[in-house]
Amino acid sequence: MLRIALATLRHRRAGFAGAFAALLCAAALVCACGVLLDTGLRGSVEPERYAGAPVIVSGDQFVHRTKEKKGKEKRKSKAIAERAWPPAAVAEKVAAAPGVRRAVAEVVFPAEIGDPDGASWGHGWESAALTPFTLRDGRAPAAPGEIVVDAGTARTNGLRVGSDVRVTSTADGTYRVVGVTAEALDHQAALFFSTEQARRLAGRDGRVAAIGAWGPERAVRDAVRGTSATVHTGTDRGRVEFLGAEEARIDLISMGGALGGTSLLVAVLVVSGTFALSVRQREREIALLRAVAATPRQVRRMIGREALLVGLAAAPLGAACGVPLAFWLRDRFRGLGALPPNLDLVVGPFPPLAAVLATVAAAVAAARLAGRRTARIRPVEALGDAALRPARLGAPRVAAGLAATAGGAVLTIVLANLDTEAASSPVTFLAALVWTVAVALLGPALVRAAVAVLAVPLRAFPVGGHLAAANLAMDARRLASVVTPLTLMIGLTATILFAQTTLGHAATRQAEQGTIADHVVGPRVPHAAAEELRAAPGVTAVTEVVRGTVRVGLENYAVQGVTPDGLRHTLDLDVRAGSLADLGPSTVAVSATAAGRLGVRPGDRLPLTLGDGTPIEPTVVAVYGRGLGFGDLTLAHEVVAAHVDDPRGTLLVAGTLPDGVPAAGAAALAEARATANAQVNYVAMALIIAFTAIAVVNTLAMATADRARELAALRLAGATRRQLLRMLGWETGAVVLVAGVLGTAIALAVLGAFARGMTGGAPHVPPGAHLAVLALGGALALAATALPARLAMAVRPAAAVGVRE
Amino acid sequence: MDTVSKVYGRGGGAVAALREVTAELPRGRFTAIMGPSGSGKSTFLHCAAGLDTPTSGSVRLGGTELSSMSETKLTELRRGRVGFVFQAFNLVPSLTVEQNVTLPLRLAGTRPDRAWLRDVLDRVGLADRSRHRPAELSGGQQQRVAIARALVTRPEVLFGDEPTGALDTMTARDVLTLLREAVDGLGRTVVIVTHDPVAASYADTVVFLADGRIVDRLDDPSSDRVAARMTRLGAWT
Repeated sequence: MLRIALATLRHRRAGFAGAFAALLCAAALVCACGVLLDTGLRGSVEPERYAGAPVIVSGDQFVHRTKEKKGKEKRKSKAIAERAWPPAAVAEKVAAAPGVRRAVAEVVFPAEIGDPDGASWGHGWESAALTPFTLRDGRAPAAPGEIVVDAGTARTNGLRVGSDVRVTSTADGTYRVVGVTAEALDHQAALFFSTEQARRLAGRDGRVAAIGAWGPERAVRDAVRGTSATVHTGTDRGRVEFLGAEEARIDLISMGGALGGTSLLVAVLVVSGTFALSVRQREREIALLRAVAATPRQVRRMIGREALLVGLAAAPLGAACGVPLAFWLRDRFRGLGALPPNLDLVVGPFPPLAAVLATVAAAVAAARLAGRRTARIRPVEALGDAALRPARLGAPRVAAGLAATAGGAVLTIVLANLDTEAASSPVTFLAALVWTVAVALLGPALVRAAVAVLAVPLRAFPVGGHLAAANLAMDARRLASVVTPLTLMIGLTATILFAQTTLGHAATRQAEQGTIADHVVGPRVPHAAAEELRAAPGVTAVTEVVRGTVRVGLENYAVQGVTPDGLRHTLDLDVRAGSLADLGPSTVAVSATAAGRLGVRPGDRLPLTLGDGTPIEPTVVAVYGRGLGFGDLTLAHEVVAAHVDDPRGTLLVAGTLPDGVPAAGAAALAEARATANAQVNYVAMALIIAFTAIAVVNTLAMATADRARELAALRLAGATRRQLLRMLGWETGAVVLVAGVLGTAIALAVLGAFARGMTGGAPHVPPGAHLAVLALGGALALAATALPARLAMAVRPAAAVGVRE
Repeated sequence: MDTVSKVYGRGGGAVAALREVTAELPRGRFTAIMGPSGSGKSTFLHCAAGLDTPTSGSVRLGGTELSSMSETKLTELRRGRVGFVFQAFNLVPSLTVEQNVTLPLRLAGTRPDRAWLRDVLDRVGLADRSRHRPAELSGGQQQRVAIARALVTRPEVLFGDEPTGALDTMTARDVLTLLREAVDGLGRTVVIVTHDPVAASYADTVVFLADGRIVDRLDDPSSDRVAARMTRLGAWT
C-alpha cells in the first residue's frame, strides 16, 4: 500500500492531484457562495403569524431616494431596520374597501415568558385570526391582567389556565393565564393580551403594525392608494412578518458575492502556483517535446488542455460538495443569528453550473499564467544533465510584479481613508490579496535576497544547515512557489483576525473610557424599571440607552438614544464641538467621523430616517469623538425608543446601586454589538483560510516528493535519514520564516491603513494570537514536508536514484 | 556551416563555445564529432540541428538558411527534416512505445502511415513491444525507440548527442549498427557527437574539435586510429 501511495506521490500525478484538490475546493466554495447568493436573490420566507389572512397591509419597509446619474433618474430603495407602522386610518380604509369581508389590525411588541429560544412577541387577542390562533382551553383575555399563551410557550413553561406568570415586556408585569391556544408557531412564541393592554404595551397611539384583510387584493390596493402602506399576498407576506429576513437576504447577496469572488481569486493564485510547480517538474519532458517537434504554442496548449481536463474532473465534484457546504454554512450562520431560521436555502441549478464554469475558467487562466514560462524552456535543455535554469525574472513578470505592488500601495492608501466598515472590509481583503500577488510575482527575487541573509546563520550548523543553505541558494524559484501560498495564508489570516480585534478593541476602549457611570444595568430594561431606579436612594443619575440604526439618505448609521438628564454623570462622548446639554427631541449629536462624511457642523439641520421609516430633521448640537464605542449618531432616548420594535435598553447608573439589581460590564455595551458581526466574518473567511492551508500542504508536499531522487543521491553519498530530515527541517524553517515575515508585513501594512481609517489609531494585534497564526503555518509546513520526505525515503536509495524525474 | 561562432554570456565573463567553425556534413554519410569535454562539440551539434541559434555565421540545411529562422519555424523544420537521439531522457514516460514513436507526426498533425510505422519498429526490433511504456524497457531498448522516433518522419538528417553514452558495450553496438543501417539502407545522413572511439569507428568521417575549432578530420576511421588521435589531442588518458 505504501509503495503504491509513494509511486502516486512521486510521479506526475502528484502534481495534478495538487491542482485537482485546489480546484475542487475552489468549486465547492464558489458553489456554496453561489447558493447563498441565489438564496439572497430568490429566497422567500413563508408567513407564520400572518398565514391566516390572504392579504396583509403593512407600512413601507424601505426608504426611497431618486438619484440622478448621467442624466438618468435612478430610484434606489434601502430596507429600514424596524417595523414601519401605518396609521390606524389605513385599517379603516381597508375595512371599508368593496368586497372586503373582514379586516383585522394588530399591534406587535416584545413580550417574553422566561428565556425563550427565539423571538417572542405580544399581540392583542383581537388579531388572533391572522394566523389563525384558536383557543384549546379557557377563554379570551378581557381584563388588563389576563393573557392567552400559545401551546408551545405553555408546554415549555408548564403553564395552564389559572397560572400566574411573570411577563417581561416594555413594562414588566405579572399576568394570569386565562387561555391556551391549540396552535404553536415554529419560529416564534406568541402571547395575547387584552386589546387595551396590548395597545398600551405597544405604545404607538393611532398606529398599527399590520392589517390582515379577507377580500380581493385589488380592492385593498385601491383602498390604500395614496398612503405609504404596502399590500402583500402569498409568500410575500412572510417578508413583512420577518423583517430580519429581508436584511439577511441582502447580507447574503453581498457576502456570497464577496466570499465567492475572494475564493476565485485565491483559487487562481493557488492553482497557477501548483501548475507552475508541475510545469517546472516536467521541464525536461517539455524540453524534449520542444526538441522533437512541438512549437511553444503547442506546449502551452497542451498545458492548457491538462488544466481543462483537471478542471473538468474537479469542478463538478467540487460543485457537488458545494451544496452540502452551503447547508453547513447556513447552520453556522443560523447559530450566530445572522440568518433567520425560516429563510431556507434555494438550491437551483445555477450556482453549481456557475461554479463549474468559473472554476474551469480559473484553471485555464492559471495554466496560461504558468504556461508563459514554457515558452522560455529551450529545447537544448533536454540534451544533457547540465540544464540551464533562467537565473533572472522575465521583464513582463517584473513589470506585473511592480504593477501589483503599486496596486497594493494604492489600495492601502485608499483604505486609510475609508471610515465605514461596509466600505473598508472588502478593500481590506482585496489589498491583502493584491499584496500577495505582488509577492508571488516578485517571489524569486525576494526569496533570493532573504536566502542571502538566512544562509549566514544556517551555515553554522555543520551538516543539515549547510546542505539546506546550499539548496535554498540554488533554487530560489522553487522556494518562491512554496513561500507564496504560505505568505497568503499567514497574511490573510492575520488580516482577517486582527481587523476584527482592531475594531473590537477600539470600540471597547472607547466604550470603557466613555462610560463614566459607576454601573451598567441591562440588557433590555423597561422604562418603568429605570424610573424606579431613579427614585432609589443613593442613585445620582440614570441614563437610559437604546440602540438602533437610522438612514441618512440611503446610508446606514448606528444610533444611540440617551435620556439627556444627568448625562454628564454617566457618559463622556468626548465632545469636540457644541454641547450635549442641548440634546432633546429635535436635536442630534454626531460623531466626528460621521460629521466629516456628512459635512455637518453644530447648528446645521440633519435630515434622517428613523428605524421605522419616520423622517425627522433635527439640528446638530454637538460633535463627539467616541463614535466607534457609542454609535455615529446620538439622539434623545424618546425619539429612538418610540421608533424601534424593542424600546428597552441598558441603563447607566451613577451613584450606588440598590441591592438585588444585577450589573454588567461597561465594555459589554460595545462588545455585544461587535461580536456577532465578527463571528460571521470569521466563519466565512475560515473557509478561505482552510483553502489556502490546503494549498500550502499541497505545494510543499509536491515540492518535497519531487526531490526523491536528490534525497536518494544524498543518502548514497552517506547522509543518514536523520540528517536529511534535519536538512529539510532547516529548509522548511527558512520557508516559514520568509513567509512569516512577508505575511506579517502584508498584514501590518493593510491593518495599519485599516486602523487609520476606521479608528484613527494603531492596529490591535495581540502578540499571542499572531504567534499562534505563525505556529499554525509552521506546523502545517513541517508536516507537509516531513510526511512526503519519509515516504520518499522509505524505498532503498539505489532504487530511487534510478527513477526518472 | 559557415564561420559559425557561438558565445555564451556577455562582456568579461563571455565564453566562446565555437570560434568561426566552417564545416560541411555530406549528405548520405555518417559523421562522428569527437573532442574533449568543453571542446564545443555539443554546441556544434545544436547549431547544426537548429536547436540553438549561433551568435554569428550561417547554418544551412540542404538549401535552407537556419540562423535567421524564428523558434516556431525552427520547430517546424525539426519536425519534418531532422531527427534526434539524445543520451538519455529521450522518451515521454507516460506514453507507450508506439505513441512515443508517432509523437512528431501527432504534433505535426499528420496521420501515421501504419505500414511505415510497422517497418520502422521492425527495423529497431521492437515490433512486439509497441504497447509497453518506457519504464518497462531496458536502456538499449529505450534508445532504439528513440531511433525509431527519429526515423519515423523520414528526416534528411538524424542527429545523435552521445546516443550510446549511457549504454554498455553490447547494447551500444546494436544502436550503432542501427544508425549505420539508417545511412546504408535508408540513405539518411547521420551526425553524432561521441567520446567513444568505438562509436566513432562506425562513422564514415570523424571530425575532431578542440577549444571551439575543428582541429582534424579522419576518413574511414578504426577505433585504434581514433583513440590515437584523441590521445594526441591530450584528452584521452
